Amino acid sequence: MALPVPGSEMFESRPIDPGELRRRLPASLAVHDVTQEQIDGLDPLTYEVVRHRLWSVTDEMGEALKRMSGSPIVIDANDFDFAISDELGQEVQVGLYNTMLVGAVDLAIYWTLQHREVREGDMFLCNDPWVGGGLHQNDVIVFQPIFHDGKLFGWTSAICHEPDLGGMGLGSFSVHAQDVFSESVPTPPVRVVRDFELQEDIADLWVRRSRLPMLVGLDLRAKIGASTVGRERLLAVIEQYGADTVKAVMKRMMTDAESRLRTKLADLPDGTWNATGYQDQSGAGDRGLHKMAVAMTKSGDHLTFDFTGTDPQTGIINCTYAGMRGGVMLALLPILAADIPWSAGGLMRCFDLVSEPGTLNNATFPAAVARGPIGPAWMTGTLVAECLAQMLDRSLTLGGNVQAGCCGTHDAALLSGLDTRGERPAPFINVLMEVMAGGYGGRPDADGMDTGGLACIPMGRIPDVEMSEFLYPVLALWRREEPDTGGPGRHRGGVSGSTAIVPHGSGSPFGVTLAASGKAVSQNNGLAGGYPGNTARGVIARDVDVARAFAAGTVPASLADLGPNLDLQQCYADTGMGVNDVFVLQWQGGGGYGDPLTRPADAVAHDVHEDKVTPHGAAENYGVVVDASGTVDLTRTEELRVRLREERRERSTAVPDAPVLDLTGSRRLNDNLVEVTVGGETQVACAHCGRRLAGAGSEALELARFEGPSSAAGPQVLSDPGDYVDAPVVFRQLCCPGCWTAVYSGIVPVGHPDHAADLGHLLGPTRGSEHSPTRRTSA
Amino acid sequence: MSVVIGVDVGGTFTDAVLIDDEGGVVAAKMPSTPPDYSTGVLDVLRVLAGERGQPLESMLAEVHHLAHGTTSSLNALVTGNVPKVGYLTTVGHRDSIFIMNVEGRYLGRSPEELQDVLGQSKAHALLPKKLALEVVERIDRDGNVVVPLNEEAARASIRALVDAGVQAIAVSLLWSFRNPVHEERVRELVHEIAPGLFVALSSEVSPRIREFARSATTIMSAQIGPGLRTYLGSLETTLREHGLRGPLLVMQSNGGAVAAAEAPRTAISTVGSVLTGGVVGAVALGRQLGHRNVIATDVGGTTFLVGLIVDGEPVRSSTTIINHHPVNVPTLEVHAIGSGGGAVAWLDAGGNLQVGPHSAGAVPGPACYEQGGEHPTNTDANLVLGILSDRGLIGGRKPLSVEAARQAIRTKIAEPLGLSVEEAAAAIYAVQNSQTGDLLRKTVVETGHDPRDFVLYAFGGAGPAHAAMYAAEVGVGEVVIPLGQVASAFSAYGLATSDVVVAAELSDPGPVPLDPDRATAGFERLERTVVRALERQGLTYASTVVERELDLRYTAQLAEVTTPVPGGPLTREALDEVVTAFEQRYADLYGPGSGFSAAGVQAITYRVRATGVLPFSSKLPEVEPAESGAVPSGTRPICLDGRLGYVDTAVHDYRGLRSGHVIAGPAVIELPTTTAVIPAGSTGRIDALGNLAINAG
Repeated sequence: MALPVPGSEMFESRPIDPGELRRRLPASLAVHDVTQEQIDGLDPLTYEVVRHRLWSVTDEMGEALKRMSGSPIVIDANDFDFAISDELGQEVQVGLYNTMLVGAVDLAIYWTLQHREVREGDMFLCNDPWVGGGLHQNDVIVFQPIFHDGKLFGWTSAICHEPDLGGMGLGSFSVHAQDVFSESVPTPPVRVVRDFELQEDIADLWVRRSRLPMLVGLDLRAKIGASTVGRERLLAVIEQYGADTVKAVMKRMMTDAESRLRTKLADLPDGTWNATGYQDQSGAGDRGLHKMAVAMTKSGDHLTFDFTGTDPQTGIINCTYAGMRGGVMLALLPILAADIPWSAGGLMRCFDLVSEPGTLNNATFPAAVARGPIGPAWMTGTLVAECLAQMLDRSLTLGGNVQAGCCGTHDAALLSGLDTRGERPAPFINVLMEVMAGGYGGRPDADGMDTGGLACIPMGRIPDVEMSEFLYPVLALWRREEPDTGGPGRHRGGVSGSTAIVPHGSGSPFGVTLAASGKAVSQNNGLAGGYPGNTARGVIARDVDVARAFAAGTVPASLADLGPNLDLQQCYADTGMGVNDVFVLQWQGGGGYGDPLTRPADAVAHDVHEDKVTPHGAAENYGVVVDASGTVDLTRTEELRVRLREERRERSTAVPDAPVLDLTGSRRLNDNLVEVTVGGETQVACAHCGRRLAGAGSEALELARFEGPSSAAGPQVLSDPGDYVDAPVVFRQLCCPGCWTAVYSGIVPVGHPDHAADLGHLLGPTRGSEHSPTRRTSA
Repeated sequence: MSVVIGVDVGGTFTDAVLIDDEGGVVAAKMPSTPPDYSTGVLDVLRVLAGERGQPLESMLAEVHHLAHGTTSSLNALVTGNVPKVGYLTTVGHRDSIFIMNVEGRYLGRSPEELQDVLGQSKAHALLPKKLALEVVERIDRDGNVVVPLNEEAARASIRALVDAGVQAIAVSLLWSFRNPVHEERVRELVHEIAPGLFVALSSEVSPRIREFARSATTIMSAQIGPGLRTYLGSLETTLREHGLRGPLLVMQSNGGAVAAAEAPRTAISTVGSVLTGGVVGAVALGRQLGHRNVIATDVGGTTFLVGLIVDGEPVRSSTTIINHHPVNVPTLEVHAIGSGGGAVAWLDAGGNLQVGPHSAGAVPGPACYEQGGEHPTNTDANLVLGILSDRGLIGGRKPLSVEAARQAIRTKIAEPLGLSVEEAAAAIYAVQNSQTGDLLRKTVVETGHDPRDFVLYAFGGAGPAHAAMYAAEVGVGEVVIPLGQVASAFSAYGLATSDVVVAAELSDPGPVPLDPDRATAGFERLERTVVRALERQGLTYASTVVERELDLRYTAQLAEVTTPVPGGPLTREALDEVVTAFEQRYADLYGPGSGFSAAGVQAITYRVRATGVLPFSSKLPEVEPAESGAVPSGTRPICLDGRLGYVDTAVHDYRGLRSGHVIAGPAVIELPTTTAVIPAGSTGRIDALGNLAINAG
């Protein structure tokens, strides 16, 4: 447990009301602003021309950053972003790359405006995730104030993930970190450029901390170069159209985005939606489950995300406030703002965050936060997405943006060692990027994308096997999509993949560092009765005589071929592998949408034909009897589906009888539920069989409940939760007691709250207000 | 007399240009005739012959060579109308073409599509998984056989594919470009089982590192190869029956042609040929006009294409994107940046005016076509502004309805925004020009150049009305609008001017410094290949030019930069200079100091390109000089700037213009196929070839 550090509080940045921020600025700082009349007075032609020009400026800056960077994490994985902000730091235009960074950029500017003298010709460097600008210390931001006519006009920002900035572990990440001092120590905003001059001493101080000083130095120059491009281009736009016009356009871009999001929200039902998720293990040696919870309340045109109830910060699975906010943006941008320009400053006015400091996604100094983005911040996004999906699932127009959980993390796996293939042995670090081919969640009208990518970095890219084998002394036995890893559902979750890697061409052993969650509990939840996608798994097969297999003309193709010494890896591990060991990594697919027993048999047959589902998975999860060529046995399928529903009945808790309601005039709540007005009373019924699931006086949906071993969820559960955590983990399913259609299917700890049976989120404070004279107060 | 003919078969029109050795030029345009495009080819050749007052047979007898560009292969790939193809790859790696490196989700998508993450889906798989089978074998990065080919199992897989009825088999094994022995053996096994079946080997189609793009390229080549073989075979037979003497050539995306009989072997190299014709034409025109740096813009009804010429050479790329897949085809780089004259003006959910990227296309087309289009387009705005004559297009043969254009702009744009119809039309025109400028700038800057160093060419029907405006947005000082005989068939003109180009490449990744002997031997091997290929074309060349290139990169970085390499035996000093040239080019492209030299440099792919220069001068003829000043055919009120409103503007009929005529802006020049605008403050001049050159004021 890290001790608190008095004096560290001043580095915690929070969103601030622009008026209040302006009042806090020193009188000596002249600030450019426009009046509401100037904003309202913009003609449509000027607005659109200047708006597009600002897009072009941002884009050119981003392209410059990407091109100048020497970092594969930037160039291949697209883990970077950039922004243009107004004079008070509100983001006017952001890039389409790492969308979580959007939630952090403005925080650094707010902090700087309050703690630094801001002068023309300065550029600030920062990697302090409490101040903002990034989600962990590897996210390094360079941001600059732009002055016009002696007045602070706006800001540009450029952020890249740096491969190493010191600390006890390679890549500034350690599974053993006790606090931030074991990682890269954060640097609050410092002037790396002063009066347009690069400060060599600061630059040296900066690169000196890294194991890769040249690369970090190159990226620093890339960010400075891109910022210069941004400044010159922005000033050219101001020159052409006038500062007031450009600023008025910037302000209107944000209010335009804000009002469009508010309009969307206002059309949706008010209510509160809950989601709870877990990080399995908090670092090397831990066997705990660590809870994150969110209650999302939508009232009118505003959202509140309340994370109260989230566990205290612990181990290495923490993120700062910037991570929490970035996680919210990860979900909000694609789900609610796909068709709204990403003027993030406007969008972020539409929600508030409520959270207790000292918790997993609002960690206080000096918690270890290096895993923040791919651990708790990502899970914040996953949980927010789950709440948004439930809210949107009621809406016919916005229901297209509903999606079950996607691959819930980046399965970090790092192989290191000495490459002896060249003339001189050279050290190497191979960060396996194929894990970016995660599965996407199923949707009400479509299957999830197979090996489609990661939700937070939509444009990630994985290297070809040949390029990896060229660069590192390895040989990939396989890299493939894995059938049955997509969450079963009426619309199937996207499958994930696996790879098996053996040392090749170099006679020395490798170091292996692993950090991955979602092995005991699932992070890729299904929706509306759909099942979670696969649990992740890392295995090192020890003492495999691959050379002999090769000599015999065979290539091992499965774990069974690699046995018997299969060394199951914990979520967080620092280990090694010898030249005869094989590393097998299986990352996460997406969750399913809707009950898989309702998936059309021919769709399942097609999945079998395309090797997305095995015949075994088709029978067990979908109740479809199909041979390997994809031919369905309709009679046996019908029998099996009846039997599987029967099994659900037999294994579930008993529920008192309830009437079947007439569904004429009912309204959709989600794939399985409708609301019906009966005698002036709003009731909830099963959309499939009409059975009443909630009536007057119901505290929750009256669903039949089953809890069993997690393996009961199907072949996508790849290992026993007991291998990772002490707390019991179960497969829980809630079904309609009439037709035994699944309404919820999850892999969760015993004691996980039944959000799916919660009535508040279905009928909410407006229950009955539109349709029933017997108005109820909110439950 | 001897003539050269270029025939460009597009999706809608088949264009042809004939150039004779006495300075005569004729152009013709006829509808394309899918699915059998050869009918349209004959049609357009008949029109050409008619224009020359001779029978088809006697014209074809005079043909030195006929260069043909076709969109049919590309269309087949885009529409998925391809035969059933099987695929064989290394055990454990079948799914590479389905995982698509994740890129398959976003390659070739617009920014609007990229922002809609949930609405995205991966590209359609190239083929069903059941037609993608594995063979047990493994070769490592040094070309060593780690696991020998299991021939028995391979035969079983081949039989399964043949039994499934495949028309061709693509074979792409890991590291086959280092050691093709297994791929070649697999082909032998295929031919044992199914003699004559079309087989494409990745080690021949695209011997380049990175298995995803190599496999995709090989599969696509197998998908279009048999069809191309059939089509070209029957076209050549037909043309021979009508008296064609000279060779039939097929345009490739690398900007050069190959003999029709050779094309199906590497069918994929022909897919982009229609797009590149215009750039090749711009190169030829630039050479004649003395322009070394050219931005070539080709604006049609639905597309806006941009190619760049730098220092007299078209900007090339070693990879292109087809159906959201990376494809290893050396190509002239052509960017699609907009939606042309059919770009729809609309209001977004925030009530903001947008133009494009949706296009009204050819059907229903702009509202003023009165073919059912209700959405106002760029063309509708131009009509309301008076830029387009209310007489209609093609000299009145395509009537346009001003009232329909006004109605669409009024209801969809003007009234919701509280503007007059004229103000709204002026706003559409200005937004279109400004945004085109932004996108043009992006295209030029991202290739490492400054737009101010370029001349801009504008061809295609919808470009000349806007070119001076979007050129000014990016700081280009001079605009050239080709208005002579070939203006309406510029791409076919490009085909007629093209030479024969064959290329060969091979990845041999390794660190720099390279062993000079090994590098020399590698290039010489490729040179022997291309020289043999030039000979196989069965043509006589005025001269041949062989160029070497090496793709270099900083270690572990993605971006490889193609760098020229001198000919002959390579010394260590010469190779050092190549690396210096790479570092300079890298700095030009990505910014000074952006190269990570300390990481080291790697050589990845060796490439050789041989050009067989055809013995035919295809210069455009000069037009008559002016004897007096240009006289407008009339005036009409035209609004080019919303702030100035409608101004009585001179309108010139191009038929009355001669070389040397100078026209002060604002003015409009009308041709049957296009309308060119000279803005106020600019000056237009008709050059010796009959082109309109506009200089910013």
